[in-house]
Amino acid sequence: MNEYKLPDVGEGLTEAEIVTWKVKVGDVIKVNDIVVEIETAKSLVELPSPYAGTIQALLVPEGETIPVGTPIIRIGEAGEAPGEPTPSTESDPYLGMAEKAGAQASAPPAEIDMSNPAATGGGENQTLVGYGPRESAAKRRPRRGGASPASDAGAAAQLQLQGAFAPGGAASADVVEAEETPVPSTPAAHLDGPVPTRVLAKPPVRKLAKDLGVDLLSLTPSGPQGTVTREDVQAAAGSPAAPAGGAAAVAPVSAPRAPGERETREPIKGVRKMMAQAMVDSAFTSPHVTEWITVDATRTMKLVERLKAHRDFRDVKISPLLILAKAALLAMKRTPEINAAWDDAAQEVVFKHYVNLGIAAATPRGLVVPNVKDADAMSLPDLGRAINDLTKVARDGKTQPAEMAGGTFTITNVGVFGVDAGTPIINPGESAILCFGAVRKQPWVTGNGKIKVRDITTLALSFDHRLIDGEKGSRFLADVAAVLEDPANALLH
Amino acid sequence: MSKITLAKGLNAGLRKAMEDDSKVLVMGEDVGKLGGVFRITDGLQKDFGEDRVIDSPLAESGILGTAVGLAMRGYRPVCEIQFDGFVYPAYDQIVSQVAKIHFRSQGKVKMPIVIRIPFGGGIGAVEHHSESPEAQFAHTPGLKVVACSNPVDGYWMIQQAIKCDDPVVFLEPKRQYHADKAELDETVQPQPLFTSRVVREGTDLTLLAYGPMVKTCMASAEAAAGDGQSIEVIDLRTLSPLDLGPVFESVRKTGRAVVTHEAHVNLGMGSEVAARITEECFYSLEAPVLRVGGFDTPYPPSRIEEEWLPDLDRVLDAVDRSLAY
Amino acid sequence: MSQTHPDRDTGDFGPDLGEVFGPNQADGGPELVQLLTPEGERVEHPDFRFDLDDEAIKGFYRDMVLTRRIDTEATALQRHGELGIWAQLLGQEAAQIGSGRALRPQDFVFPTYREHGVAYTRGIDPLRLLGLFRGVDQGGWDPNDGNFGLYTIVIGAQTLHATGYAMGLQRDGVVGTGDADRDAAVVAYFGDGASSQGDVNESFIFAASYNAPVVFFCQNNQWAISEPIERQTRIPLYQRALGFGFPGVRVDGNDVLATYAVSKAALQRAREGQGPTLVEAYTYRMGAHTTTDDPTRYRLSEDLEHWKLKDPIQRVRVYLTRNGLVDQDFFDEIDQEAETLGEHLREGCKALPEPHVLDVFDMVYAEGSPELDVQREGFAAYLDSFETAGGSR
Repeated sequence: MNEYKLPDVGEGLTEAEIVTWKVKVGDVIKVNDIVVEIETAKSLVELPSPYAGTIQALLVPEGETIPVGTPIIRIGEAGEAPGEPTPSTESDPYLGMAEKAGAQASAPPAEIDMSNPAATGGGENQTLVGYGPRESAAKRRPRRGGASPASDAGAAAQLQLQGAFAPGGAASADVVEAEETPVPSTPAAHLDGPVPTRVLAKPPVRKLAKDLGVDLLSLTPSGPQGTVTREDVQAAAGSPAAPAGGAAAVAPVSAPRAPGERETREPIKGVRKMMAQAMVDSAFTSPHVTEWITVDATRTMKLVERLKAHRDFRDVKISPLLILAKAALLAMKRTPEINAAWDDAAQEVVFKHYVNLGIAAATPRGLVVPNVKDADAMSLPDLGRAINDLTKVARDGKTQPAEMAGGTFTITNVGVFGVDAGTPIINPGESAILCFGAVRKQPWVTGNGKIKVRDITTLALSFDHRLIDGEKGSRFLADVAAVLEDPANALLH
Repeated sequence: MSKITLAKGLNAGLRKAMEDDSKVLVMGEDVGKLGGVFRITDGLQKDFGEDRVIDSPLAESGILGTAVGLAMRGYRPVCEIQFDGFVYPAYDQIVSQVAKIHFRSQGKVKMPIVIRIPFGGGIGAVEHHSESPEAQFAHTPGLKVVACSNPVDGYWMIQQAIKCDDPVVFLEPKRQYHADKAELDETVQPQPLFTSRVVREGTDLTLLAYGPMVKTCMASAEAAAGDGQSIEVIDLRTLSPLDLGPVFESVRKTGRAVVTHEAHVNLGMGSEVAARITEECFYSLEAPVLRVGGFDTPYPPSRIEEEWLPDLDRVLDAVDRSLAY
Repeated sequence: MSQTHPDRDTGDFGPDLGEVFGPNQADGGPELVQLLTPEGERVEHPDFRFDLDDEAIKGFYRDMVLTRRIDTEATALQRHGELGIWAQLLGQEAAQIGSGRALRPQDFVFPTYREHGVAYTRGIDPLRLLGLFRGVDQGGWDPNDGNFGLYTIVIGAQTLHATGYAMGLQRDGVVGTGDADRDAAVVAYFGDGASSQGDVNESFIFAASYNAPVVFFCQNNQWAISEPIERQTRIPLYQRALGFGFPGVRVDGNDVLATYAVSKAALQRAREGQGPTLVEAYTYRMGAHTTTDDPTRYRLSEDLEHWKLKDPIQRVRVYLTRNGLVDQDFFDEIDQEAETLGEHLREGCKALPEPHVLDVFDMVYAEGSPELDVQREGFAAYLDSFETAGGSR
């Protein structure tokens, strides 16, 4: 059994209309008998059969337009033929032509009228030579070793695509404690404000800095035109650490500008462009709702202090973020939609029975969102360690694509920048993102009506209104806030 | 041992090649009785006859096209293009036939053709007589491209090119033809054809040249030495394939490179060399690779050609700019 | 440019040659050498005669039928999706078989890309012709086997190669020795469109200048894709030869006896050292330019009908039948042979080995290139880095 697929007859043909079948089911044909007349862009073309045998089926009705590659006719073994094939007695197409008043149902091969475009010709929109254009796959082929994308550029792009906070605003997210300074290695695509220029340095100085583990961004250039010199790098390599600077430390080096220049234009390209696209896609596909709550986190801060002394936490750096993370993990048990995903293609909501907890981090490479796998199954010390490790790797710019893949829920900690809240954009593929604002000493009206100085913070939750309604979103946010207010409430979950 | 000019070196090299192999033919316009407009083929027709030193009709495509047929018949034609600017009528035969027949035939047909082109300016000539089309041929897969810069290389390189089983575009700096003399010692074995050569050692900067610019660069290096700048000069000699091993070695040492040629800089040989140095020596570079060459205009009228052409001062200007980084 | 100067006498430039001859007089004009009429009758010509017997004519018939089968089968293979394109020769069988059969083994042929019939006469397996059109190679035969050069696609370029090769024959001392087994000539095939190319005109000049043993065999099939012969010339093409200083002949390109006789004479002239000849085989491209052309857009079907009456195979068939030289078995056997050939092409085409992309690096230079070696190595490693082999076909 053979099927003849509509050929690309070499004119950049992508589709054709079946005009007239020249054979019917049960007919016995020889190779190169004309079986069908098709119409391409502008002309009729007769197709000779590549197979001999009995017609089993005509697979496409007349008048239908089909893409190249579609099976059009099924031809069975000659033995199944109802009659014997008629032997060819002519080899001279001239004789054939002379006798040929109209198209014959079963023309012998030599009777293809090669002067007739129905047999040989193409149309005006078709290329003169070759098989015509080919479709090429629009996705990467997997490389050995599992790393895909394999290139640094690809990885960088992927890092950016994991971004979870609105670009262009003053707020970026970082899990890094305020007293810590990230160690950028390349200022590839800062999200904030005016895009910084690269550090100016000759290639050999860059190599030296790379070898010595010195971040060029952290140096004060002493060379001509503001370039970092060898000596700058060597001096920095000798000093133990880069200066601390809190939020200021992650602020990018502003682009040098010529005196009198009032605007500087930087092309939008590369990872920045891809990150922007991901954010736009998220913002315009899932309807975002953002809610706020202001919380008295004094007890949480005290708990943090107590835990710092606890021996299980000797090697763990404790921050309120850890308590918040735990609170969120607990709260989402009551509101599983928070840890679910909208599958638009399947028109299904996918509930995840695990939590890969994303922590948005501002790093020298830009915003990345690595996640703690199966965070819901972890003890508090383990979760603390996991967050510490993840932020350190992110800070070093070594986050692997796999560490960013598969997130189910994200926390973004804008408090380290000293701001109170924001309206975060959901990490693509997730349904909610929790924003942790700064913890400040503020006057607070206590339950008994007194005004006291308390540690106050703001939580903001953006959620996908397609699957989380206002009630569920509010409930989750309130549950989290309750734990921060009194960690003992965790026992309720 | 004798002192010879580039013209004499090429002439002697051609003569030697014709003596060594009876399949070697010389063909071109005025190459016979006249000995070529630059006298490079002087006396060859008298000694080897009209069948081997062929005065051709004035049709460059015809010269190259018939050379293809002669090569298919087992001959090794050496075609003289009278002036660089006259090679374009033969461009189709060179690019579509000479360069591709070995490939088309999957190696069954060889094209041992040498295309001699006097190139470059500086002789006060009229339009089309001073051009530097080398990049167009180096850009063509299937061709090999070399440029000689001195009499001794001329003598050896033409023989090596004729012995090569691949088509070779052989560029001769026409303003050097009758300029300087050099000692030719035929007992000294030549270095292989498709290799570059360090012609002056230095530590501060690598200066790259071929053909007529080698002399300019040597003079530039000498002048710079007076200012305490130690400049290494490399004669690239082969433009396709490039032999950049010695160049990379040099740039890793000096950290700076300046590429020079008379041809327009835009998409010229210097662009390719600069890109390759950047790829291979990135962390060694103290300065961007700079190019010094002709401007992106047609070759100018001869009264201003010396200003237009890169000279010692233009080369040293680039050297200074590089060293200032 | 064409301003008239009232104070200057008009010179007498003689008759307008274009008006006198025209490029395309019906049926080739009075100069057409014909030895077998379209009606299958043999006729005499004062200068050229067919000196072979009827057995040879039967052989020519077989050659032409098989050649046409190569063409129709390849056209069908293109329709099956097995070839990217095919350049058809329908109607030009007599021009190719007649000239091809006039060759001796030591002669050398420089074809265009349509000389499938000539290739057949040189013993090239027609399957080898398909590789170029299938895209598995760019010429799958060794030019030194059968002395048949690779197809040349740039129009007219090969006429110079032919002239150069002929100059090589002169230098090898295999022209005009009087030894029939040794003296050799070259044929350069080209078309009416190519006659406008500089290379063709330069080859005429070189060949004339050096008296090279080359026959310029122009198949004037009246069409250069869509452009008629009138766009290429205002005088009959064969007359151009006179301007270059060698003889030109117009032969009925659909008459295999005449193309054989004229080619043989021209080749003999060349082998004897009398220099080049231009043969204009006056024929008609009955098919399209290639399988992707659409001739209905630019020519009249009545022209085609007119030329069908002059079909090169039919007139031989009529001659053989009318004179009782063959019986039906003769035709049946050839038809069967054509069937076998068709099957050979169909099966063989699909079995042509696919090229490997890394092989391209090895074919560029006879002596290699270290730079290409590096590129090859890098590309091989790149290809190897994928989990699955590449290729989108």
